Amino acid sequence: MAKESTTIDVGEPSTVTKSSSHVVKDAKKKGFVAVASRGGAKRGLAIFDFLLRLAAIAVTIGAASVMYTAEETLPFFTQFLQFQAGYDDLPAFQYFVIAVAVVASYLVLSLPFSIVSIVRPHAVAPRLILLICDTLVVTLNTSAAAAAASITYLAHNGNQSTNWLPICQQFGDFCQNVSTAVVADSIAILFFIVLIIISAIALKRH
Amino acid sequence: MKSGQAEIMETSKGIQKSGLMSRRIAILEFILRIVAFFNTIGSAILMGTTHETLPFFTQFIRFQAEYNDLPALTFFVVANAVVSGYLILSLTLAFVHIVKRKTQNTRILLIILDVAMLGLLTSGASSAAAIVYLAHNGNNKTNWFAICQQFNSFCERISGSLIGSFIAIVLLILLILLSAIALSRRH
Repeated sequence: MAKESTTIDVGEPSTVTKSSSHVVKDAKKKGFVAVASRGGAKRGLAIFDFLLRLAAIAVTIGAASVMYTAEETLPFFTQFLQFQAGYDDLPAFQYFVIAVAVVASYLVLSLPFSIVSIVRPHAVAPRLILLICDTLVVTLNTSAAAAAASITYLAHNGNQSTNWLPICQQFGDFCQNVSTAVVADSIAILFFIVLIIISAIALKRH
Repeated sequence: MKSGQAEIMETSKGIQKSGLMSRRIAILEFILRIVAFFNTIGSAILMGTTHETLPFFTQFIRFQAEYNDLPALTFFVVANAVVSGYLILSLTLAFVHIVKRKTQNTRILLIILDVAMLGLLTSGASSAAAIVYLAHNGNNKTNWFAICQQFNSFCERISGSLIGSFIAIVLLILLILLSAIALSRRH
């Protein structure tokens, strides 16, 4: 009983003074922590954005290169089929190479804006510009991939209704390269969708 | 006191202007969704109901043409139908944006869904465009013959349905831009 009363008596004045000082310190600390975490979160998003752009550059350059170098010459000449196949034989593949090259160029040019977003996480203008341009470029990229995919599908399977014969039975390597390029570009499209989502989340304000 | 009151009035005017601008953006978004819906549903119906039978039978070419003879055109119809369904459902959220003021989370959700639908619609329209181009012009290198010399009205119809889809693609891009602008304006 005596001990309990002693501790109570001693504790009261110290808790009063400490609590007031703690309130002030905690408020300051909370402020600093909030500012740091807010900038940190957006900076983290901006860094992830930058890395994803680098990955998309690698994938798109790979896709354009594979499609551009897709070519096959058969060792024999047949009566009805041409003995050589290249990407420029089909307009959809030409469009694919040009569009994907444009996309890769845009990604390289967009890196400075991504860096600005890292340095200044709360700036709105570079983030908004990135989102607008990303949307336009992902549409171009998707259209190129879809057009090439539909022609590739036709090359593999043909079409009985229109009497379009499959050519991949003769040009196996060519079709493999073309399919690889389309798959690579599809991966780049997924990266772009993630980039747009990152930009939208980063635009959100508090 | 007078200067203080003037500042308060200016601040309140600024807030009202900001709210008014946000509401205008939300209303424009609502209207664009309705227009995009009519474009996608029109494209799907136009492509889905296309059909032509030739009055004669030839040895090498089939005497009947439908949209589902080509997988890309089937995918086109499905993609446009899905996107038009999504646009109808998204009108609810767009209406919420007009009524409410704090709509950050739903706007991000709409942007994500809009981007996904834009990808689906673009892939459907572009794959169909590639096939339609091939149907019109054929290809000498692969011995794929142009079928539009026999099926004129079929090809006119499938070409026309692509227009509505590409208009909807542009509208979806505008919707994403509007959402981004609305997101960056909030305080």
